[in-house]
Amino acid sequence: MTVALQPGEAIQGAPEEETSRGASWPRYLALKGGGAAVSLVMVVVVGFFAFRVLPGDPAISMTRGRQVSADQVEILRKQFGLDQPLIVQFWNYLVGLLHGDLGTSYTYNRPVVDLIGTYIGPTLLLTGTAALVSIVLGLSLGQRAAWRRGTAFDRTQTSVALIFWSVPTFWLGLLLLLVFGGWLHWFPTGGMSTPGLGATGLAYVWDVVRHLVLPVTAMVAVVYAQYLLVMRASLLEEMSADYLTTARAKGLREDDVRRKHAVPNALLPTITLIFLTIGGLIGGAVTVETVFSWPGLGYLTFQALTSPDLPLLQGTFVVFSSIVIITNLAADLVYRVIDPRLKAS
Amino acid sequence: MTEAVTTEAVTASAARGARSVASARRKQRAGEVWREFARHRSGVVGLVLLLAVIALALLAPVIAPEQLLDVTKVTAGPNEPPSWANPLGTDPAGRSVLVMLLWGSRVSLLVGFAATAVSMIIGTIVGMSAGHFGGVAQAVLLRIMDFFLVLPSLVLAIVLSTVLSRGVVTIIIAIGVTSWAGTARLVRSQTLTIEARPYIERAWALGAGNGHVLRKHVLPAVLPLVLANTTLTVGSAVISESTLAFLGLGDPTTVSWGTMLKTALDTGAATAGYWWYVLPPGIAIVLVVLCFTLVGRALEAVVNPTLRGR
Amino acid sequence: MFDTQSSSTARRRPLGRLALSLTVSAAVAAAPLAFAPAAFAAEDGDGGNYLRIATSADIDTLNPFTAVLGSSTGILTLAYERLVEWGAADNAPVPGAASEWKTSDDGLTWDFTFPEGRKWSDGEPLTANDAEWTLNAIQTDPDLQQASGGLVANMKSIEATSDTNLRIVLKEPQPQNPGNSMMVLPEHIWKDIKDPAEYRNAEDSVGSGPFTIAKWDEGQSVELKANPNFWRGAPKIDGIRFVYYKNADAQVQALKSGEVDIVSGLLPAQYESLKGVEGITVNAGAGRRYTSVAINPGAKDATGAPLGDGNPALQDPTLRRAIFMAIDNKTLLEKVLQGLGTLGQTEVPPVYPNYFGIDEDKVIPFDIDGANALLDEAGYVMGPDGIRLDKQGAPLNLRLMGRSSNPQHAQISEYMVSWLKEIGIGLNVAMYSDNQVNDDSTLGKYDLYFTGWGIGPDPDFQLSINRCSSYPNADGSGNLSENNWCDPKFDALFDKQHGELDPAKRADYVKQAFATIYDASVNNVIWYADSLEAYRSDRFTGFVTQPADGGVISGQNGYWGYYSTTPVADTSQLADAGAPTGLYIGIGAAVVVLGGLAVFLIARRRAATSDDRA
Repeated sequence: MTVALQPGEAIQGAPEEETSRGASWPRYLALKGGGAAVSLVMVVVVGFFAFRVLPGDPAISMTRGRQVSADQVEILRKQFGLDQPLIVQFWNYLVGLLHGDLGTSYTYNRPVVDLIGTYIGPTLLLTGTAALVSIVLGLSLGQRAAWRRGTAFDRTQTSVALIFWSVPTFWLGLLLLLVFGGWLHWFPTGGMSTPGLGATGLAYVWDVVRHLVLPVTAMVAVVYAQYLLVMRASLLEEMSADYLTTARAKGLREDDVRRKHAVPNALLPTITLIFLTIGGLIGGAVTVETVFSWPGLGYLTFQALTSPDLPLLQGTFVVFSSIVIITNLAADLVYRVIDPRLKAS
Repeated sequence: MTEAVTTEAVTASAARGARSVASARRKQRAGEVWREFARHRSGVVGLVLLLAVIALALLAPVIAPEQLLDVTKVTAGPNEPPSWANPLGTDPAGRSVLVMLLWGSRVSLLVGFAATAVSMIIGTIVGMSAGHFGGVAQAVLLRIMDFFLVLPSLVLAIVLSTVLSRGVVTIIIAIGVTSWAGTARLVRSQTLTIEARPYIERAWALGAGNGHVLRKHVLPAVLPLVLANTTLTVGSAVISESTLAFLGLGDPTTVSWGTMLKTALDTGAATAGYWWYVLPPGIAIVLVVLCFTLVGRALEAVVNPTLRGR
Repeated sequence: MFDTQSSSTARRRPLGRLALSLTVSAAVAAAPLAFAPAAFAAEDGDGGNYLRIATSADIDTLNPFTAVLGSSTGILTLAYERLVEWGAADNAPVPGAASEWKTSDDGLTWDFTFPEGRKWSDGEPLTANDAEWTLNAIQTDPDLQQASGGLVANMKSIEATSDTNLRIVLKEPQPQNPGNSMMVLPEHIWKDIKDPAEYRNAEDSVGSGPFTIAKWDEGQSVELKANPNFWRGAPKIDGIRFVYYKNADAQVQALKSGEVDIVSGLLPAQYESLKGVEGITVNAGAGRRYTSVAINPGAKDATGAPLGDGNPALQDPTLRRAIFMAIDNKTLLEKVLQGLGTLGQTEVPPVYPNYFGIDEDKVIPFDIDGANALLDEAGYVMGPDGIRLDKQGAPLNLRLMGRSSNPQHAQISEYMVSWLKEIGIGLNVAMYSDNQVNDDSTLGKYDLYFTGWGIGPDPDFQLSINRCSSYPNADGSGNLSENNWCDPKFDALFDKQHGELDPAKRADYVKQAFATIYDASVNNVIWYADSLEAYRSDRFTGFVTQPADGGVISGQNGYWGYYSTTPVADTSQLADAGAPTGLYIGIGAAVVVLGGLAVFLIARRRAATSDDRA
């Protein structure tokens, strides 16, 4: 979580880059893809064994307080393969996973995969929007702040960002909800759309956007500071580089120097960081979705926590982690394509 | 608690503590560090505030006897607005919110420091090993680091707190185990840099073993950076504690800022307009986290000279 | 505060455009959104009068065979008539799908009459054949027993002797009407469904209740529309929408802003704050649930072997009684619940007056000194550190288990720790997840724990789980014992009430049976919490409560509350509970613009005065 506030580190780049940056495309792909694959396997393994240490008998939990005979419990155990040795259960779990089977939720009594399919859309919409807004906001403000280092603008922006960064997301969300939802009535207090509005097309989009404002604001406020600070730091680094002096000496306009030379170079470490913080964004989704009753995976995770509904919790854990790992892999590939230092070589 | 605080105090002043007595040279270096740190006004402000908060937390039993938290002994009514007797009003059981805030700081800071210590130890060991050793060991460690680096740490912390029994220790472990990867990465790159220096090669040539090099040369060199870095981690840990409490994974039988907020929400204080119970714990968290961040940033600028002047 | 340690480096440039726009972008972008029709209030897509109900609990399925969660069965109650309904006034059986019923003298044969004219929402006639099909489906297919399997367990045969008569023959007599809570589904729809256990029943379903399920938007809302064919007459509103809120505060805010019309399950502080708000009416209905602390009296399994790890000292009734004497239920009710409930006695809440209460002289009083005297007398000597020793000389340190999902448990335990300390008993409190509390309490792995049950109109089930025969198997499967306790005297009373068909006599036996549990000091009922609700009385009125006097609107044993409501004449003119929206928007926008401007100006000035970078 703190990653972002360490500009020095971000500039140094990810550790593997030392070995893989110069590698050929196939080798690079194999390295990165292999790494991601290993991570995915680790998620799957952790996802299985973490939940097996829990107290309580899953078969009894599944009966949800109904009166059942010992025979019925035995049947349930067989049905869910709980009578098998742990290693066999793990094998079954792996085979199931390959067939897209994450087990059956106790609470909803239906396949976890179904549930995740239903709830994943809103989460992607919410975290995607929040990520986009905070990146744009963080990068532009960070760039401005760096270019005008030491001014009141710089100081205000840095201060404000750091203050927001220190706020617990759920608390900020709740305050936003109380002030802008309950008191001022500017925005809806929860959900993704107004039930029964029956709106379609643009009207529906408008309705969803209205519902998006508060949760996105809560997420952005807490996250954008990291981007601002890193962008600011890496731009400062670039600005002291020799080639900028050369560029200026050539008589290029200050604005062009910044836009065409300094900023693109400073962007790279920032992009690395952005992908590293996706995990944090998703963590934020759990609390924000709970506060704003957003019908997404975070809300589902919270729901699963209360019983706890282990198969569901396990499923959301695996899916959340996989999203992050896959996005990071994509980032690595994109990064290589756009890295000008690589292009030049 | 005491132990953690001591470590931190040493960290915070970056060498004013016991170690500075060791030699005059160190004393001089410490003086330089302090002067450099003192140039960062925001860092100094953060440090002063932080020390004040820590002092208050340590003195809580003296300032407000624990008996004031006993719900069967209260005299004030529930949810009373601020008054002279109770400057921050009372909670639903009639206890002074100010007293609870004071006592809550102990658990919140304890969780912050202890979780950071866990994260720092794991991060330093893994990071140094990954930088020092090569081959399979390095590959495996790097993979594990990468795994924890990208993993949604809150989600993993949720899983851990669900799996383990409720309690402060569980929360410390859950936060510590999920937050070390950043430190490890930093330590690794620092280890690589240091081991490339000539004096390490000299040490090798003189027949030093792995343990000797790591302990005598690498560790002292990475430690300042680790300390600066972990100062930032304390803040996140304090936030994580409150988040876990909000999700119902805290220990409701102890008073912390997180559980105070949770109780406030659970008793409807927010909608009932009892702002004196909803705002102070949140503001306290923001303040303390901000202080840690400011101190951490200033420290980092001190230890990492490339950052100077920013 | 955030000095950045450098001489100025700012540039003289047309500054601030981007910065300004970004600083304020979020807020400004929001402004037009905020101007969109200020009230979500009463804005229904089809212009109808929909009652919007905030709900926090999730829905598993809307399939009446398999729905178990209370929120789901609550919705299904509105959509499907039961054979016999629980009356609004006093929970007595009243006509549902069946208009009347008779019992044979031996209490084994029940005949239900289905009058002409009962119709499904699609216009098809509702007959005894539908009931026969539904009950048989449940009885023959284990997959369909999840929700109502228990209700058919005692039925030997189910037969529609004609279109208008359903005959149920029981295995043994039972005091509760077998038609109570027994839903009837339309055979002509369900017989064609391939896998009825998996069917989710989420859209345009055919039912017989006052409303039918129109659309279930998972995780967001459920829409019901009025059933014009409902035999008591179509509802006076066009439909109902259940809207999900995960967050109790959001529900109240939504009520205030007019996004929903009724909120239930309010916290005491929220309830108090909604009192007197214009356009909102609050209702504190007597609840059906008891909240209690139970003591492990020495759990056993079905074979009679000891079960779990309860402290053996607690097998002494005197010690249990002393513990309960040290708990001040009255203070707990006043402080934790702010008085919004009724002081606990036996497990039956006062909404069922026939079975409620205990003789005045049998009530265990709050008396710390008395408890100490009792313990001294019983030979529990005080140890050196203020903790009494049990008969084996071990200190009496007990465990108290609660649910982390219920904040009141943590609140109550703070009082209990302090009180029990005064009688020399140490208490270690721990909160666990619901599953773990369920498991551990079933397996007898506790000393004390918080529990509570919602009690139905008929007490038979609640009593049955206290019989000696209800001890579970060693692994927790099989039967369920409410208190892990057993007493032959109680079993005799249970049998008496179970076979008694005279209501007055039965009520007496029932009260005696509950009093036996109370006397054994195994379950100390602290309170029956009121069910706290609030609704937009500027939009809807005429809610019928159950019971009629001091009852609830939501969470009834029936559909009366929502069915009875009528819209207030003109719902387009709504009193907004807050201040005029436009004013706030104006102020907000002004603040944002001024703030942004200030930032802009400061930035400019700095830029203008600072030196150019070398």
